[in-house]
Amino acid sequence: MVLILALPLAAVYGQQAQSTSSPAASRYKAPVISDTGDLKGPRQPIFFRHDIHAGQDQIPCMYCHYSAAVSSEPGLPSLQTCMGCHQLVGGSTPSHQAEIKKVRDAWRERKAPEWVRIHALPGFVRFPHMRHIKVLGTGGCANCHGDVQTMPQVYQVSTLRMGWCVRCHVERKVTRDCSVCHY
Amino acid sequence: MAEQQTPGTSSRVTYDYVTRTIARTLGGPSRGYFVLLGAAVALLLVGIITLLYLLRYGLGLAGYSHPVYWAVFITCFVFWVGIAHSGTLISAILFLFRSGWRTAVYRTAEAMTVFAVMTAGLFPLIHIGRQWYFYWLIPYPNERGLWPNFKSPLIWDEFAIGTYFTVSTVFLIMGLIPDVAAVRDLATGWRKKLYTITSLGWTGTNEQWRHYSKGYLYLAALATPLVLSVHSVVSWDFAMAIVPGWHATIFAPYFVAGAIYSGCAMVITLLTPIRKLFGLEELITVHHYENLAKLCLLTGSIVGYAYVCEYFIAWFSGNPHERAAFWYRAFGPYWWATWTMIICNAFLPLLLWVKKIRTNITALFVISIFVNIGMWFERYVIIVVSLAGEPYEPWANAVYNPTWADWGIMAGSFGWFFMWFLLFVKNFPAVSISEVKEVLAPPKRGQVRSR
Amino acid sequence: MSDSIDRRRFLKVLGVTGAGAATVSACGIGPEPTEKLIPYLVQPEDQIPGKATYYATTCRECAAGCGVVARVREGRAVKLEGNPESPINRGRLCSRGQAALQGLYNPDRVPHPMVRNANGTFEAIDWDGAIQRLRAKVAEARGKGIVFVSGAEVSSFGDLVDEWLKLVGGRRLSYEAFGFDALRAGNRLAFGTATLPTYDLANAKYILSFGADFLDTWLSPVEFQNGFTQAHAFEGGRSASMAKFVYVAPRLSLTGMSADEWIAARPGTEGTLALAMAQVIVSRHLARQPADASRLVGLLSGYAPSAVAEAIGIDQDTIVRLAREFASSGGGLAVAGGMATQYENGAAIVAAVNILNYVAGSVGSLVKFGADSAVGSAGTFADLVALKADMDAGRVALLLVHGANPAHSFPGAFQQALGKVGYKVSFSSYMDETTAACDLILPDHHPLEQWGDSRPRAGVTAFQQPVVQPVFETRQTGDVILQLAGRTGTFKDYVQGKWRTLQPRGRTPAAGGDQFVFDAMTKGGVYGESPTRAVRLAADLSAVAPRLSTEQKGSGEDQTIVVFPHPVLHDGRGANKPWLQELPDPVSKIAWHSWVEVHPDTAAKWGLATGDFLLLRSKFGAQKFPAWLTRSVRPDVLAVPTGQGHVAYGRYAQDRSANAFELLSRDANGYGGRTFVVAATATKTGEHRKIVTTEGSPRERGRGTVEVLGVARAKSLRPGQAPFHHEETPEYASKAVEWWAERQHEKTELGNYRGEHPRWGLAIDLSKCTGCSACVTACYAENNIATVGEDLMQRGREMSWLRLERYWLTDEHGEPQGAVNSPMLCQQCGNAPCEPVCPVFAAYHTPDGLNAQVYNRCVGTRYCSNNCPYKVRYFNWYNYAERGGKYEAFPEPLSMLLNPDVTVREKGVMEKCTFCVQRIRGAQNQARLEDRGVRDGEIVTACQQTCPSEAIVFGDLNDPRSRVSQLAGDPRGYHVLAGLNTKPAITYLARVVAQETPSHG
Repeated sequence: MVLILALPLAAVYGQQAQSTSSPAASRYKAPVISDTGDLKGPRQPIFFRHDIHAGQDQIPCMYCHYSAAVSSEPGLPSLQTCMGCHQLVGGSTPSHQAEIKKVRDAWRERKAPEWVRIHALPGFVRFPHMRHIKVLGTGGCANCHGDVQTMPQVYQVSTLRMGWCVRCHVERKVTRDCSVCHY
Repeated sequence: MAEQQTPGTSSRVTYDYVTRTIARTLGGPSRGYFVLLGAAVALLLVGIITLLYLLRYGLGLAGYSHPVYWAVFITCFVFWVGIAHSGTLISAILFLFRSGWRTAVYRTAEAMTVFAVMTAGLFPLIHIGRQWYFYWLIPYPNERGLWPNFKSPLIWDEFAIGTYFTVSTVFLIMGLIPDVAAVRDLATGWRKKLYTITSLGWTGTNEQWRHYSKGYLYLAALATPLVLSVHSVVSWDFAMAIVPGWHATIFAPYFVAGAIYSGCAMVITLLTPIRKLFGLEELITVHHYENLAKLCLLTGSIVGYAYVCEYFIAWFSGNPHERAAFWYRAFGPYWWATWTMIICNAFLPLLLWVKKIRTNITALFVISIFVNIGMWFERYVIIVVSLAGEPYEPWANAVYNPTWADWGIMAGSFGWFFMWFLLFVKNFPAVSISEVKEVLAPPKRGQVRSR
Repeated sequence: MSDSIDRRRFLKVLGVTGAGAATVSACGIGPEPTEKLIPYLVQPEDQIPGKATYYATTCRECAAGCGVVARVREGRAVKLEGNPESPINRGRLCSRGQAALQGLYNPDRVPHPMVRNANGTFEAIDWDGAIQRLRAKVAEARGKGIVFVSGAEVSSFGDLVDEWLKLVGGRRLSYEAFGFDALRAGNRLAFGTATLPTYDLANAKYILSFGADFLDTWLSPVEFQNGFTQAHAFEGGRSASMAKFVYVAPRLSLTGMSADEWIAARPGTEGTLALAMAQVIVSRHLARQPADASRLVGLLSGYAPSAVAEAIGIDQDTIVRLAREFASSGGGLAVAGGMATQYENGAAIVAAVNILNYVAGSVGSLVKFGADSAVGSAGTFADLVALKADMDAGRVALLLVHGANPAHSFPGAFQQALGKVGYKVSFSSYMDETTAACDLILPDHHPLEQWGDSRPRAGVTAFQQPVVQPVFETRQTGDVILQLAGRTGTFKDYVQGKWRTLQPRGRTPAAGGDQFVFDAMTKGGVYGESPTRAVRLAADLSAVAPRLSTEQKGSGEDQTIVVFPHPVLHDGRGANKPWLQELPDPVSKIAWHSWVEVHPDTAAKWGLATGDFLLLRSKFGAQKFPAWLTRSVRPDVLAVPTGQGHVAYGRYAQDRSANAFELLSRDANGYGGRTFVVAATATKTGEHRKIVTTEGSPRERGRGTVEVLGVARAKSLRPGQAPFHHEETPEYASKAVEWWAERQHEKTELGNYRGEHPRWGLAIDLSKCTGCSACVTACYAENNIATVGEDLMQRGREMSWLRLERYWLTDEHGEPQGAVNSPMLCQQCGNAPCEPVCPVFAAYHTPDGLNAQVYNRCVGTRYCSNNCPYKVRYFNWYNYAERGGKYEAFPEPLSMLLNPDVTVREKGVMEKCTFCVQRIRGAQNQARLEDRGVRDGEIVTACQQTCPSEAIVFGDLNDPRSRVSQLAGDPRGYHVLAGLNTKPAITYLARVVAQETPSHG
């Protein structure tokens, strides 16, 4: 039943993916990583590889971060979403299988993994994701999150400091009114 | 030769006497001195501890009560800025007016100025809610592209006080050079080193004297407008606001007069004990006191006139809010503060019309202390009472009472000020050697032989 | 800023609710590596992170049964709002309703079942164990007397309890501290029916209240207030005729403040006045009389004004005038309740008022019988007294208490009686006085966690559904009862089964039923028409004539003490909610404490000042209260509110002031009700207390804060006229202001504001505002405003962004005849004094006309507040969000109701109202997503949303079609302190009063 829930969504977002993702990205091949030690970014409980999912397999961001286009919050995929595919997909290499096993175990034990937060804003800042997706399109995530499609392990590329926000708003000639983000 | 002497100084006062007496003030400290210094440091500690509490728990520890959002801290701020004024007046303006009597007192006044500004400058930092962000008030380029609001009188303040502090400090140091050089030649040990550095290689050659006096003159000219500007700007902190009791055009002159008034009073308060402590009776004479007293009399009358103006305009304008504010001042719950201020500042100094009192140092000392108290209450009345009365919104008025935190910080400020002042008079000539000599009769052969 | 707390709470919530952590935000700059994000296991369909979900349910703070919509973010209920579908409250809510959230997340809830152990203290116990015990106890107690005390429960839960009690042979007693026994008795006396009618205030043309506080505590306040405003407010809902409101009572209550005239009749003579008026109407044929009215002539003959005026304490001309006005209005409605119905002769007074309505022809038109009200369903006080007797006599082996706290409202006597009961079980989720005296506690869910319903009146069933997962290990009492009864299925099934039966005939029960129930749940209930039936005069009217009660006046020394329900704390149930404690009483403006109202003349006699303690000693008990001197009470009466004086009930309620119930008689009176008037001696104790009051000056002193118009003058006003017009911009200034305005609009060419040039504004109609203060609590709830507690409030540190200023309306003798209430909040000035003085641009003007306050930029110079003529800026003197801090405002788990869309302010920053900017931005974002502009009425501020009298309207002043800009053009409109050229965005509409020469202080 999980599968049934997952598939139509996949179909829907599938189209979107073709329309937005550049041909360059579609040729992307995720590297085989032997040593995770020197990867940038914090170590996550499960070695989830954005470069494989978003890069190689071309799964659009919106598939997992489902609410980014409609809400101020991007949302985090529920474990159910993972299982939607990994019910069937078991992984090709032993290392992959090991990681996917963690997902399946977590699902069996009804215990969600505790992801380490990477992008965080101070509590007095409001960042409406949907407004930015609206203007930048579903491919616009990279503007702030960098080329996640090539990151085996996600790390923060932008400072997310006010100066950084303002610079972009100035370039694009959009509002610089304080009370748009601060209230 | 008497006509060549400055009035009030006896013939015993010779060049050599001056040098020796003043050098003596730098000698080993007496017990009295240590007691005073100890008291000052103790007060300072009280202030520091209070400040730590404020930082940890918040300004709530002070007595603030809606809508009284400024109180004792700002009162002290204005008070100290006021004190700072007479310094420059005496040293700069009177210098330009070539009034001889200033020479004996101007050094003390200048030192007082510098330390008073140092004290005043602390209060804006202490009284803000998030002290650790005080630097946001300073214009500096930053990635956010944010600047302070140059429309805000508080920013004007920042600059006014800053400038005043720099100039008056430079002025003090400059005046010190020849004196330090003089005592350098008598001093020994670490002090010798200190003076050698601070005297900037002064040898007293003609050349040096020529440049020195020119420079001093220009600096005096430069400092003069500041006497008027600084407190005018401070007064605009209030005059620019629409609060009845603040929003008045007479504020600038009113505040400047008040400042000089309180300044002179403070000079008297400070000189008297030092004079005793260091035995400077011969140099700082009744004559000097009388002149200071006259200055008080003048500025005090201006202040008194300003009081009358305020009430008259409140009545004459027919503005109900203005009237309410001043009625509240005189007859509201704070009547006592208002009347303390009026009696101490407007009525008491009228005694100075009497020459007997004007020339009685003890009397002057007492009066000067009352004037200081009165001037502190003047600021208290203007700030706290105007806000508490709240003539616009009858629903929002409060009765404000200071707490230990308010008093603690205030005590600290006095400690801070006196500590610096005491340290100064012990380590630098509290009376200008060179300038006092300037107004003395030059030595005659006979006197020299007698030496 | 300090919403790091917000975040930690948040993660806590995840543990509790298993929701997603999407809105987690770090404290200070940059990410915190340690921070964890816990995803859902299964994504709930109806939840999108960062978007609120709304659930319709029913408010159970009182038995009025208002429909509410709960705003839920990531599994936390963050705000309650009225349910527009509900015919009771029409989308509005009172303070008590708003504060229900603080009941849900109250830090002093009983977290799990507890049992009293050998050494008399409570210890935790698991649910199965607890239920085992209870089952055993029930078995023991069979036949030895099982009693279930509940609140006014006209609901499926009530039915279930009754069913179960039938099974085990027990009886139920539903108890409300402020019962409506007099109403029932009085109606029986006059019409032979003991039911409660509905009162159509909305269509009344003249309203006469005999002590009935229908705006604050009586029956269904929100509903009544909504109706009352339509009738009473100038042009409120109807033609420009304004129904006059006369209030008859010994003291001015919240309801009384809206009065156009106050008749301070001698306590107990209200009925006499009513009959005297009836006599005038009948004898002078002022109204078309019903056929059988002739039977009254005999009865009324004894009540000629000349005969009774003396006793009532007003002159007879007044009586005649009132009678004429009442009859000639062609829609006179008299209601008896509250004070007037709590004397010995309360029932007779109600009957008398019924007769007044009857002869004026209002019965059947404005007073409709047939729809019995739930609140009234409670058992009589006599029943409770009887129960107490049984308990004393050891005839009660097992006592179960749910939703009632008799140990507080019937102190002493009931407390002792409890000691003699074999086994006592409480289902309360709070450690109140009764619960503290019990042996076993089985904490029930909070109503917001429950399934259930209530039937506020015949034809209306309001549904309750859980809006959040239970915060603690509580369990729905319904389920417990089902388990005890050995029945299968959950209480949810039981309730929904009942709901199915509600669907109209001729529908298929099964599948259709589910659909029907689902639809009804989305609407919040089943709202049918209430049946009505005609009533005739009772056969025997002899008992109607109210005895002129003199017995309250005892020996010469005694004073008449009137005990009245506190408008928000009511009988004390509100006392554990900081929002309600910190909310100043609408009349006295006193918070966190109780008081006794003393007339200045009386006080002068005793040399009494406000704050001096009076010791009141009646035959039954003695209590101390600080005096509040006011002219809004009769000189021969002392008035005391209930609500405080708890000895338990959590940190906010415990040991706070005194319990007024202590003074009252322990026996039921003639009609089985409770007498709330008692004779007592008053002695000055010499103690003094600075009572916390937000009242500055009670007189407006003509400073232009509030404006009042006589009704005739108001009617004469034509559009375009402006009686309060000020030359706002002097000639010399206008150019500068224009230039500045243009600069503002240049900014509007950017981003959000492209194309739109809104200027947000508010219109507040003072002739609608009753001063009920619901808006204040709503503001606290929406904007994360901290409650500061009693000692800080004493020092004027309260943070209430929105305050209600109460200025007395006085007659020519300076006696109050009511009051004008003016909500004072940030005026969002177009030319704001606060902005230029801020050295860091924390206070600045947004392109859409708000005075924004950027909390994270503020350094706290407080210059803005000094320069604000309205004094509506509030400063964070301490860190009110500090974990375990001395002044912590949101202790665990209270912090769960913090609104994630609003920053929790830090120590040392200024804060203020910004017209709920978070709601404005939300609407703008949504509009932008849908490629459209913001529609008028799309943005609703928290205060506007909750206002039961719809006095507040928000909108865009630059849109000529918007409601607010139309109201802003009303001739009654004025700006507070307009002379200062601040150009406020709030337009006040002057209060209109019946007097021709209105005075305000």
